Amino acid sequence: MILKRYIPIAIVAIFGSLTLSAWFIDNETIETFANDDATQFFDIIAAFAVFLGALNLLKLQFIKFIKKQKGWQYSAISIISFFFAFTIGFFIRGAYFVEDKVFFTEEAALESLITVDISKGQQEPSYKVQENSFKDISDAKNFAIKQNLITPVDWGAHVQKNGSLFQWMFKYIFSPLSATMFALLAFFVASASFRAFRARNFEASLLLLAGIIIMIGRVPAGGLISSWMVMYLIVLVSGLYIHYLKKKNNVTIIFTLAGFILVTIAGMITGWPLDKPSIFYLPLLQEWIYLVPNAAGSTAILMGIGLGIVVTSLRYIFGLEKSYLGE
Amino acid sequence: MMIRKLENLIIKVGDVDRRVIFVLIGLAVLIPLLTPVSLPIRETPTTVKFYEGIEEIPKGSKVLVSFDYGPSTRPEIHPMNVAVLRHMLRNEHKVYISCLWPDGIYMALDALEDISDEFSLKEYEDYVLLGYRPGAEAVIKGLASDLRKVYTVDANGKFIDDIEMMDNVKNLNDFAYIYSGSAGYPGTFEWVKYGGDPTGVRMSSGTTSVQVNEVIPYVRSGQLIGLLAGMPGAAEYEKLVESPGIAIKGMAAQSFAHIVIVVFIIFGNIAFFLKQKKERKYSK
Repeated sequence: MILKRYIPIAIVAIFGSLTLSAWFIDNETIETFANDDATQFFDIIAAFAVFLGALNLLKLQFIKFIKKQKGWQYSAISIISFFFAFTIGFFIRGAYFVEDKVFFTEEAALESLITVDISKGQQEPSYKVQENSFKDISDAKNFAIKQNLITPVDWGAHVQKNGSLFQWMFKYIFSPLSATMFALLAFFVASASFRAFRARNFEASLLLLAGIIIMIGRVPAGGLISSWMVMYLIVLVSGLYIHYLKKKNNVTIIFTLAGFILVTIAGMITGWPLDKPSIFYLPLLQEWIYLVPNAAGSTAILMGIGLGIVVTSLRYIFGLEKSYLGE
Repeated sequence: MMIRKLENLIIKVGDVDRRVIFVLIGLAVLIPLLTPVSLPIRETPTTVKFYEGIEEIPKGSKVLVSFDYGPSTRPEIHPMNVAVLRHMLRNEHKVYISCLWPDGIYMALDALEDISDEFSLKEYEDYVLLGYRPGAEAVIKGLASDLRKVYTVDANGKFIDDIEMMDNVKNLNDFAYIYSGSAGYPGTFEWVKYGGDPTGVRMSSGTTSVQVNEVIPYVRSGQLIGLLAGMPGAAEYEKLVESPGIAIKGMAAQSFAHIVIVVFIIFGNIAFFLKQKKERKYSK
């Protein structure tokens, strides 16, 4: 009980209070702890969490594979991919430099240094490394190694070095797969918007309208749509709405015609500027939606999140929140 | 009679198989990519503010660029990061690159490769690739306090103390500007909260389109000096720095895709209401 419950609560309470107090108390020791030591603790724990995550992933995939659960084939691919990346990351340097050129294996790097010389009258070929000639290829290789003509990349840097095997794996396997998965989103968004994005009530209609304005206004094509065209469209849609409400053709026709005439006269007077009146110009309208109603709503949400974080942090410090103990 | 036939047709098309939608969206993206269409790019105020923010940095300053994204969001963030690097190097700034995402390092390598010839880039003279460190906001907090406690070596494994460019760099306060090309967590929010705000260093960000609505309050409050919003933001910025790239090329595809989706939404709603009307009629 003490070990599993009270000690973890005490650790959280002490460290939580210390890091919190660093914002309020002007003390160098506490500030150093909060700014340097605590963040390094976090980095170390985060690094270990990667191992924990990897083990958990393997455990789940192995269970799925062994028990032949639905989709076990994908688990097999996951496990193979994991060990493939693991091997390349931990056991293979994958980058050997010969001047500016980089090779995945030391053997390939050696071969690039050696030229085979078959001169006339010579029964067996000789192997040249720089200006030195060898009868045996292994001697040529040993010479190249002894002369440090090949520079292997440092361990650790090998996963980040340009041209390394790990980078090759990332560039030509992981990147296309990842990009493909994300690109599929466009298709699902299109399909979902066709089926589910409905103007069922006022709020949904408002969301729909704002969504359409932002989607069109954000892209260059939206800039080509004149504000006058939008105004004509508004008159047309309003006419349809009036028809839906009144069910009288005369009223609809008079309203729509009057609207069209008004818009046309206004356009002729002002000379049909593309972006005037700016309230009907989609790029400016979408910018306004982003900067005014959206910013107001997002700020409120952010403040709510902030207050929520404060309350949750205090609950952790006071030992009221114990979900991290599995309770 | 004619109207009824049209209504029935719309209802029928409203039940179209989703594979048809997939094909149409695929074509809307593919055709403009294969046969490029030039569309006029209009700079939005947030992009202009971002550009001016970088222009205001004194020449030859130290700037921190963070690559906080991966291949999935590369089409949106990568063009803007390349353009930002281009702009910074053109203004003779010294660039320090960090990554909060493990994939960020490869994105950074690609971006540097893209502009390497143009600026005859020399590592440790023009830029330092600090690389990736796990820990998200803790990394930023560490950088704000003491960079050397977070990075003892750079991406090549070279000791930070052996790099001449790092001589007068102790923490974030030594940078004139922070930029984060971010696709989510950790990214813009964390840089503002733990990097820009506590140190007072001017900063800005480039984000994916879906993040813009969350990030915009920081632009309004001045915690971010402008913002590059998604691929359109990248295209606008490419235009401002006069180096047209992949973002401008991609604008036609994105425009057509958006138009097709909007048409789908409008058409789907018309079909939905007509169907409702028909059902009400038959239920009476």
